[in-house]
Amino acid sequence: MATTKKLKLPKALLEMKFMLKTKERLKKEENQKDCDRLYSNIITNEMRHASEKNIFESSFTFCEDLIEGRVSFKGMNPEIERLMELENKPNACDGDMQKDVSDEALAKNMNKLFKRKGSSGFKDCVPNKKKKN
Amino acid sequence: MKVSVGDVVLPGDYCEEISPKDEKSRVVIGPGLRKEVDHVYITKAGILKKKNPHTYWIDSYQKRYVPIRGENVIGIVTQKAGDIFRVDIGGSTTAALSFLSFEGATKKNRPELQVGDIIYAKLVIASKDMEPELVCVDSFGHKGRLGVLNDGFMFKCPINLVRKILNPKCPLLDSLKNEWPFEMAAGMNGRIWIKANSMRESIALGNAILGAEFLSDSDIKKMCNNIAAILAGHVS
Repeated sequence: MATTKKLKLPKALLEMKFMLKTKERLKKEENQKDCDRLYSNIITNEMRHASEKNIFESSFTFCEDLIEGRVSFKGMNPEIERLMELENKPNACDGDMQKDVSDEALAKNMNKLFKRKGSSGFKDCVPNKKKKN
Repeated sequence: MKVSVGDVVLPGDYCEEISPKDEKSRVVIGPGLRKEVDHVYITKAGILKKKNPHTYWIDSYQKRYVPIRGENVIGIVTQKAGDIFRVDIGGSTTAALSFLSFEGATKKNRPELQVGDIIYAKLVIASKDMEPELVCVDSFGHKGRLGVLNDGFMFKCPINLVRKILNPKCPLLDSLKNEWPFEMAAGMNGRIWIKANSMRESIALGNAILGAEFLSDSDIKKMCNNIAAILAGHVS
């Protein structure tokens, strides 16, 4: 059922029942072509291929990295202070991630695994992200 | 006129620096800037600021609040209208707050909110043509820091002052936090609510916040020390 642009299916064939889908598709294509022709002088090629390179952010909160506006100090509102503590904690211990397996153990095990497999095909499967210390 | 980062700018000026050098990086265009076909134009009077890698905005003096999605604001309940509360947030129209958008609220278990109550809420809908909508819960249904603000004292200030004291680099809160117990809620709509144990402490806190508007960082520290000394009774 493949039709090129130059080659057109005969009308009689399109009228047949099993060609209904193709008929519809051809009709759609024709419509699209008409549409494009109609707007060709309004919609420029530039508009067609333009992609948005800017992110619009109308809030200062995200531009200036403002802190949360609700704060409490010295036990005035324990509920808020607990939330503040929870929020500050991840920043404090961001450096060392909790690990079940130490870096050395992982390196040793991986080495063993490589020796056993020894194929170049396997190396491609290893994620190229190196584990940072 | 062509301007660059750090300049005092006026509406109608344009900046050529604001355009991605390489294809991959995306530029964040913040408040006070508008992208037209050829350049990025300035729409507010102020100072053009930049944050790395590619964030630009205008730091301006402003008292009128224009609701923006995602910001936390302080509102005053002005009306109960069926399923929603109407809340004054200082914008052009009142905002709507559904009674279901509170922690643990159901159709039968309505939150107890009276006309005149002060609430700290987040804007979820803020568009040019529609009524802004507030919520008092996060996406998990927890109230977090939002909700009704009981007691305390609320005052208005320019919006840029709120931004100044909420900036992580501002020494105001750092200098005050060890002096006396207090609680503060700062809405991005230029309203600040404070609560302390005594009236003297509340007044001191309010004065410290309002006094910080035109002071430099070192002067803010000095002022806070001064206020704390007066409050403690060392200086009369």
